[in-house]
Amino acid sequence: MIAWTGKKTVEGIAYAADVLFLSYLALKEFLSPARRGRAEVSKAVTRQILLIGVGALPVVGAMAMMLGLIVIIQAGLVLPKVGADAFLAHVIVVTVVRELGPLLTAFIVIWRSGTVMGAELGCMRVDQEIDALEAMGIHVIGLLVMPRVVGAIVSMVCLTVYFDLVAVIGGFVVAKVVLTIPFAAYLTEIEKALSLTDILITIIKSSLFGLAIAVICCHHGLSVGSAMTEVPQQATRALLNTVAACLILDLVVSISLYL
Amino acid sequence: MMNEAVITLDHVSASEGNQVRVDDLNLTVQRGEAVALVGSHASGKGLTLRLCAGLEAPESGSVRILGVNPAAASEELLDLRQRVGFVFAKPALINSLSVFDNVALPLRYHDTLPEAAIQDRVMTRLVECGVEDLRDRFPAGLAMGDARLVALARAMAMDAEILFVDEVLFGWDADELVRFRKIVEHYRKQRTLTIIVTFSAPTGLFAMMDRLVLIRDGRVIADCPPVEASRVDDPMVRDFVIM
Repeated sequence: MIAWTGKKTVEGIAYAADVLFLSYLALKEFLSPARRGRAEVSKAVTRQILLIGVGALPVVGAMAMMLGLIVIIQAGLVLPKVGADAFLAHVIVVTVVRELGPLLTAFIVIWRSGTVMGAELGCMRVDQEIDALEAMGIHVIGLLVMPRVVGAIVSMVCLTVYFDLVAVIGGFVVAKVVLTIPFAAYLTEIEKALSLTDILITIIKSSLFGLAIAVICCHHGLSVGSAMTEVPQQATRALLNTVAACLILDLVVSISLYL
Repeated sequence: MMNEAVITLDHVSASEGNQVRVDDLNLTVQRGEAVALVGSHASGKGLTLRLCAGLEAPESGSVRILGVNPAAASEELLDLRQRVGFVFAKPALINSLSVFDNVALPLRYHDTLPEAAIQDRVMTRLVECGVEDLRDRFPAGLAMGDARLVALARAMAMDAEILFVDEVLFGWDADELVRFRKIVEHYRKQRTLTIIVTFSAPTGLFAMMDRLVLIRDGRVIADCPPVEASRVDDPMVRDFVIM
């Protein structure tokens, strides 16, 4: 049992070190890009933003609308009964903007794009496409990993802002059917409850989630050996580890910045 | 053929997994030579080819390609990679790109030519390899033989000085092998092209080679022109050459 625990701990530390090193390489490539292939890399970044961000708008919009509706109806019905109807805006800001917005957006991006990243890079590894890129003198981190990291970070920030807007405003518009609060008063309360710190923390969280999603999924994709059967195994591991990483990051950011 | 070593493997050893595949191997290839690495599967010829191309690092010994140590600085290695072309056993085409964009990829990435010149170069290579009709197709829809011809066009897109082809006989039928021979002969007439290929079965293509290097258990057991191979007294050589 002790040996098993020790082995798993060492494996966990080695895994974290590999992921952090890949993050470092990707960010270094972004901050000081290679002289070669800038046009190809720019195209790859644009393609990733389209795939991860623009492609997810309908799903994120629908999820945000439903979540906003649920939270606003529940809070709008329960809070007046306990004399706390003045806190509706605070509840919305705390639950939707601070926590559920970034987290649910991250989960959608993981399910929709993270697993695809892992599987796509895994298939490229099995088909020797990555070996071929290296043989042509093409920098794999620069062309494959960095565009996914940048695409995921940009998409996560934009999608989270979009999620929060749709959940807070769209949810209220729909919920107006059962609530009696005037829209203008609701917006004023939201404006009062929402601080600049909330917006900054939301952006920090979504950026970190985007980084974690892309790096962990790319790491698992590039870890595939030569067998096609490893691709779904690594994609599943990527999904589970990315969800865990986002929850841990959320906890760390919330504790360190709100407590 | 010029008397200038373009590839030198000096007492090179390398492993795959826990198994030693290349064992204290020495090999020198002169500019303009056509060299065939011949051996059964798992003889170490594939790893030798990748060592020659700088795609693998040796565990011991030294490798020099066009005067460059591939284990050296990365920028020098990237320059070196533009001077060599590699055709893998699997076509290894980028599945998300069309045939045309696959061949154009190294040219566009390395910013060597303006776009109009890239278009001309790519079409020239596709025509030379007889796959110009496939220019808008994607790799998933190609037959293996056609995909490997596209991979050959891509390997030659940067006007490689050294062409490596792994497992020539894999995926090509008789017609395509004849086409491959004609393409290589065409390139060798145009420029001083060094070519290193691997074979795991006897073939008439040995005739176009300057040297056969027969490899068993990661060691060179014979290194001679094809016409002299029949005189080598070794059972494996008899199987591969005299059969």
